[in-house]
Amino acid sequence: MTQPAPVVETHDLTFSYGTTQVLNGLSFSVSEGEIFGVLGANGSGKTTLMRLLVGLLRNDGGAINILGESPSPKQASRVGYMPQVNALYLELSVRENVDFFARMYGMSDRRPRAQSVQEAIDLVDLGPRSSDPILKLSGGMRQRVSLAIALVHRPGLLILDEPTVGLDPDLRAVFWERFRRMAESGATIMISSHTMDDAAHCDRLAFLRDGRVIALDTPSALRAATGQPDATLDDAFMHFLRESSD
Amino acid sequence: MSTDRVLAITERIIRQILRDKRSIGLLIIGPLIVMSLVGFSLYEQRDILDRVAPGLLAVFVMFFTFILTGVGFLRERAQGTLERLQTTLVGSFDIMLGYMIGFLIFAIVQTAVILTFTIFALRIEYVGTLWEIGAILFLVVTVAVSLGIFISSFANNEFQVVQFIPIVLAPQIFLSGVIIPVEQMPQLFEWLSVVLPLTYAVEALREIMLRGADLTTLWINLAALAVFSIALLAAAVATLRR
Repeated sequence: MTQPAPVVETHDLTFSYGTTQVLNGLSFSVSEGEIFGVLGANGSGKTTLMRLLVGLLRNDGGAINILGESPSPKQASRVGYMPQVNALYLELSVRENVDFFARMYGMSDRRPRAQSVQEAIDLVDLGPRSSDPILKLSGGMRQRVSLAIALVHRPGLLILDEPTVGLDPDLRAVFWERFRRMAESGATIMISSHTMDDAAHCDRLAFLRDGRVIALDTPSALRAATGQPDATLDDAFMHFLRESSD
Repeated sequence: MSTDRVLAITERIIRQILRDKRSIGLLIIGPLIVMSLVGFSLYEQRDILDRVAPGLLAVFVMFFTFILTGVGFLRERAQGTLERLQTTLVGSFDIMLGYMIGFLIFAIVQTAVILTFTIFALRIEYVGTLWEIGAILFLVVTVAVSLGIFISSFANNEFQVVQFIPIVLAPQIFLSGVIIPVEQMPQLFEWLSVVLPLTYAVEALREIMLRGADLTTLWINLAALAVFSIALLAAAVATLRR
């Protein structure tokens, strides 16, 4: 039996901002229904990678394959992107923000769009606040609105750049419960993070350092690779950092 | 092009500006204060006021529209919403068009306020028709909207947009014939005035308001303003590339 084509695949990906090399030959692939975590310290190239995947940047070298093709604007209806910065219209309400982006994703029919907008708002538990302007919401609530925007058009692939940064532990757990539910219903999720709390929830992880993948496997396999029976993912990350320095 | 997406952007801009009550107040009061200062300081010298009024109309319309659009669009870039828009299906041209229509509506209101004040409060004498004056000012607004969006791509914050005013608007104010007629300027400045959109607007408004010319005789000015508007729109679209 042939393996299904990966939803996301990069091969020997390189990118630089001027003379600063940010990605140095990055290769990995993500399968359908998988939650794939990209873990690394600040400046390791996570956000650059995410921006390349959604076509906001163009790679200098190597190849990117998203849903079977190179990143292009026409894929937008199948990809949901949550940027690191919330990027919301502060004067508009939660519903107006989500509805506006739904229209940008090509949902022009009013009735089905209204239903999708309501579902996305309910999914992030903001129903009671849906008429409030973003200005009146807390940081965590704004992040939930941002997530609702990424979900509103029911994309098959979600690319989420540090979606849990700044969230309190309760809300983080809620987010992860949502992500797991979406993956179980067939969505593929790529998440960048620099916390090992997030890493533990992923099906597979790529540890990044200086724009290179220094380790790629399931959380349990990465822990096992340290050789210590009670190793945490923090230990595993440090183990691979040391190994990559040698 | 998607009509729904263009309309959605226009609606969103209108909503955003309408909810910012202070900005709405300043949009109306700002031009009135400036026009009052200039107009009433020359109120006793009717002949000078009547002569400079067409030029001042064009200058103020361009100035306030440029600020409105430049800062408005810069916010979109700085807050990351423009980048987020670029990960959706909307194209650069749709974004530009949506913005153009949204800002045009407010700029037209502002222009109507300036025009009404100039004619009824400052009691400027004019011989042309109001709709012809309005048509020229409409073209000035389209040029200023495109210019504002284009320039916003070179600024990282509101302060920098303001820094562009002397660079972008001052040459137009001094070289377009508002203060000194173009033909009385040194040759080099006369040549420079040819590439400034305000030159064509000021000349056309003078012809209409002081000499009663009709638009058919001013087709070169209309065409020049339309070309500037389209060229700047294309330049602004180019700044939106991913």
